[in-house]
Amino acid sequence: MKHVKTINTRNLKESMKKGGCGECQTSCQSACKTSCTVGNQSCENK
Amino acid sequence: MMVHQYKNNGYNIVLDVNSGSVHVVDDIVYDMIPMYEDKSLEEISTELAGRYTAEDIREAYEEITELKDAGSLFTEDIYENYIDSFKNRQPVVKALCLHIAHDCNLACQYCFAEEGEYHGRRALMSFEVGKKALDFLVANSGSRRNLEVDFFGGEPLMNWEVVKQLVEYGRSIEEANNKKFRFTLTTNGVLLNDEILEFVNREMGNIVLSTDGRKEVHDRMRPFRNGKGSYDLIMPKFKKVAESRNQTNYYVRGTFTHYNLDFSNDVLSLADQGFKQISVEPVVASPEDGYALRTEDLPQIFEEYDKLAVEMIKREKEGRGFNFFHFMIDLTGGPCVYKRLSGCGSGTEYLAVTPWGDLYPCHQFVGNEDFLLGNVDDGIVKKNICEEFKQCNVYSKPKCKDCFAKLFCSGGCAANSYNFHGNINDSYEVGCEMERKRVECAIMIKAALADEDEE
Repeated sequence: MKHVKTINTRNLKESMKKGGCGECQTSCQSACKTSCTVGNQSCENK
Repeated sequence: MMVHQYKNNGYNIVLDVNSGSVHVVDDIVYDMIPMYEDKSLEEISTELAGRYTAEDIREAYEEITELKDAGSLFTEDIYENYIDSFKNRQPVVKALCLHIAHDCNLACQYCFAEEGEYHGRRALMSFEVGKKALDFLVANSGSRRNLEVDFFGGEPLMNWEVVKQLVEYGRSIEEANNKKFRFTLTTNGVLLNDEILEFVNREMGNIVLSTDGRKEVHDRMRPFRNGKGSYDLIMPKFKKVAESRNQTNYYVRGTFTHYNLDFSNDVLSLADQGFKQISVEPVVASPEDGYALRTEDLPQIFEEYDKLAVEMIKREKEGRGFNFFHFMIDLTGGPCVYKRLSGCGSGTEYLAVTPWGDLYPCHQFVGNEDFLLGNVDDGIVKKNICEEFKQCNVYSKPKCKDCFAKLFCSGGCAANSYNFHGNINDSYEVGCEMERKRVECAIMIKAALADEDEE
């Protein structure tokens, strides 16, 4: 495309099909203990 | 259907919230997106005619249509329909925050645990209580294999022997139960020594080292009980920890407050000391505290995040980049949408355990009797409180519904909501504003570095 550059991302809708295993890290166990940040957790079931 | 578009550091960025797609676009597409859904090509052409050529307008229109058809723009929200099945999920516990010591050898000004005591008495967790906590975790974890245990405080190194015993006990029950413990430690560093470091490096997946950045900032907020600063004692040890772990699987973690609104300098001070894994987070405090962040601080805080983002891109390109926890965003391998809807897991997957074995929804609720859930002997007694936490998700919070960041922060911190509004389904607005800004910066960094890859 000439006007748009798309950054590679995980399709969230697709992630519904194979998601929900619950094995990924709990957010407050990584570094934050005062603010919720989930978007930076890594998926354990790729 | 929700599209968020913004300009940052010279980039026009478009986030399609429901698919998670990110597009970097030129001015014409940027200007056209807000009118695309409501207007015809003719109407759009008339409106944009003064600024762009007819050919560019047609081309841009086609490209937007292509994105829409590919499911990466103007995507419908299909998740809300699934929220009921999500609410009825079978609860399992997979992570514990063990308050191994309600005592501390520092007297940090902003401590939510009130110098480790959590509005209660000084106490150390016994091995017996800790053992019961690990047994409780295994027994309630269902089919989850990875179990997380954070040794927290107060200052956990004030009860180090019990930490060691619990790690050994945990390892001894892994195989028979088909579980894998991931132990982590959060420490102020005062009691760190080589023997402890050797054990930590062998057994712990992560270590969080508390420091606020510049010496004067650190020493003001993190003094000993006699008022003397702790920076000179802990900093050499923290550098050793970072190096001994090959600059990975650790964080130096600080808190910024109203007193150091120029916190980008604290982040950079830590980076200049050689640290590669850095987290500096906004303080959460009652409005009456002098160090609390206020709405009027937000413009400066935003500027600091922008400044930091630009500097991080520069350093990354120079080969001396570092990670800033709140700008880390995993666009390609991040969590599935279920995780994004369910949030931090407090009161459901994640519980805190006091030195005497009481269970709370998370470390932030410890000491508030209204949230006492049960204990390691009897398990969860107040199931109704857990039920309330289980119902908590981005669609249960009115303020989250129309927020573009909802699938990145997952509805924010329940404790923050409770502290400011008296219930867990609200939001802490100042925190939300900062979170949105951080998501914008984090995505911009990705765009800038993707640019670099192509050059």
